[in-house]
Amino acid sequence: MKSIAKILSRYVLSAAGVALILLLLNLTAFYAWMMKNADDTSGQGRVSAIAQALKEKDGAYSLTPEGEKMIDGRFAWAMLLDGEGNAVWSRNLPGDVKRKYTVAEAASFSRWYLNGYPVSVWRYSQGLLVLGAPKGSLWKYQVQFPEKVLRSAPAWLTGTLIANCAAAVILALLFGLRLIRSLKPLAQGIEDMARKQPVFLPPGGLLGDLAEKLNDTSRLLQEQEAFLQKRDTVRTHWIAGVSHDIRTPLSVVMGYASHLEESPALPEPEREKARVIRRQSERIRALINDLNLASKLEYDMQPLRRSKFRPAELVRAAAADFLNRGLDVSRYPIEVTVKEGAQELVLNGDRELVQRAVSNLIQNSIRHNPDGCAVTVCVEPLYSCCKISVRDSGSGFPQKVLRAISAPITPEPLDSHGLGLTIVRGIARAHGGKAEFRNLPQGGGEASLLLPCPVPEQESKGPICRDNRGRTNPGSRS
Amino acid sequence: MKDIYDCKILIVDDEPELRKMVGEILREAGFYRLIQAENCAAARRAFSSGRPDAVILDVMLPDGDGFSLMREFRAASPAPVLFLSAKDEDEDRLLGLGLGADDYITKPFLPRELTLRLQAILSRAYFPAVLREKPRPVFFLGGRKIDLNRGTVESGGESRVLTAKEFALLGKLYENRGRIVTFDSLCRDVWGDDLSACENTLMVHIRRLREKIEPDPSAPRYLLTARGLGYRLTGVTEA
Repeated sequence: MKSIAKILSRYVLSAAGVALILLLLNLTAFYAWMMKNADDTSGQGRVSAIAQALKEKDGAYSLTPEGEKMIDGRFAWAMLLDGEGNAVWSRNLPGDVKRKYTVAEAASFSRWYLNGYPVSVWRYSQGLLVLGAPKGSLWKYQVQFPEKVLRSAPAWLTGTLIANCAAAVILALLFGLRLIRSLKPLAQGIEDMARKQPVFLPPGGLLGDLAEKLNDTSRLLQEQEAFLQKRDTVRTHWIAGVSHDIRTPLSVVMGYASHLEESPALPEPEREKARVIRRQSERIRALINDLNLASKLEYDMQPLRRSKFRPAELVRAAAADFLNRGLDVSRYPIEVTVKEGAQELVLNGDRELVQRAVSNLIQNSIRHNPDGCAVTVCVEPLYSCCKISVRDSGSGFPQKVLRAISAPITPEPLDSHGLGLTIVRGIARAHGGKAEFRNLPQGGGEASLLLPCPVPEQESKGPICRDNRGRTNPGSRS
Repeated sequence: MKDIYDCKILIVDDEPELRKMVGEILREAGFYRLIQAENCAAARRAFSSGRPDAVILDVMLPDGDGFSLMREFRAASPAPVLFLSAKDEDEDRLLGLGLGADDYITKPFLPRELTLRLQAILSRAYFPAVLREKPRPVFFLGGRKIDLNRGTVESGGESRVLTAKEFALLGKLYENRGRIVTFDSLCRDVWGDDLSACENTLMVHIRRLREKIEPDPSAPRYLLTARGLGYRLTGVTEA
């Protein structure tokens, strides 16, 4: 809606500008035209020139050739009246024009017409030079203004300009508002479309065809969204279905293998083989579970069972779990560091999933460093996030894995050990946070979980934990 | 019924191989009164005629689902029900437990897991703990005899009494002997509080406990510290 206000103000201003410019142009043109034509018609300059061209010599008058040309060019006739009102000289004087005038007659025609001829007069020594233009050639009008009015003319003119501008602005505003009224649903439609909501705009009105196009586009987008959603759902269900079908036969395999493993009737080498079958079956079970979880996280179908928990406690439990399961501490020393302020942090999330993520990271360090490595798990507050990092002194992440796991959208297909990291990423994303992976300059790798977490007694500032996909995640809202 | 092994158990699953295997596992564990059914209809018949003491039930059956079958059984008898399902969906698990199932095991499972859980629900249902007098453990740490019934540590004819907190700490550590128990779970169990609230108290009580059970409290041999994580009780000899 901000853009609409901008469009409106821009529209109004430019309309007012256009009106002002047109007004000024018109005034200038009118003035120029008046000046030009007034010069042509009033002819005072020419009349005086003609008067000068009429020479008197011993009571006789003669006209210079230039004077003749001037009279014939614009006037029909000319005459010179002496002090008594008698015509003492004339040229082309028509028959319907008298040769003698009283003072009153002279005064009445001097400014206007003589027998229908528009006349101009000029004082000539003791007499009056009268020039008659052809009938109907000139329109005469006398202009009179009180002086007061003329003096206040500049103020009036300015006032008129301002009033004009205001009128232009108001008119533009009215027309603009009308346009905006038809634009508004379009803008709303575009906003809805950006929020992936269905758009249906009434197709009529000024911008009806645009509205129809928007409706079409929205429908297309909705169809695509539904298609993608359906494909994701189908894929997740397919994976869930396949893993479901594998579970029952795997139960039988695991059950009998475990049974044989404990059977006293079998010699030890045979029992060892049964043990291998049982262990490998357990691996298949773990893989199925991972695959299921990864696909649900990827398509936002993993429900989160949220509760409040302390990440420091969770990290200690995860590390203790590894040690209790018989991790060789001489080869894989695990250290837990709880930085200042981290002990009090409280996360709101799925505790089991977050612990799973931390365990996956520790497991990843152990599995990819068969010769042993030191593992450090660290919890620290970072702006409005809780950062849980697992770093090791081992070989670090292979470039291929690093590239794939850091890719913003769908990661490149990873081999099985990539699934663990994909799950970590999915868990972080489901909690509205993110996972970061990097290799350390001194060797080894570091994986960090950044989970949003209100830091007590500290204004949240700086970067906010955000999934770099920028995708809204229904799971994180539940 | 003398003990849980006298219980009659109904196994309902549509997969014959799995039914057979579960039967063998249970027989191996000592159960001998087993009946089987491959679908809802057969299960209903077996339930009304056989009157089992417990049911192991698959969720997805060819002619219905295990959840509604359990509801029917529950209306007729309080026999415990243990679900055995190939679905690991959380909702399913919660639905099953929410409906009153006594336990829920996801396939694939280890035989030991099944027998342990079945034994647990049968004991709960037919031989509740309040009726059984189970003595608390008595064990040795080196030359010291710890008697959790009396709450004493005896060494060389001398007997020292454990305080309530020391008793709770040692009990928790003994339950998890050989394993690290984190500071957090000790605090929660013994004081019902967060670590940040009772870290110092915990350290003080551990020191006092060491003075009673360790020959040299400054160089502990039995109650070990897992740095940054918790404590571990080791070197336990059962009495």
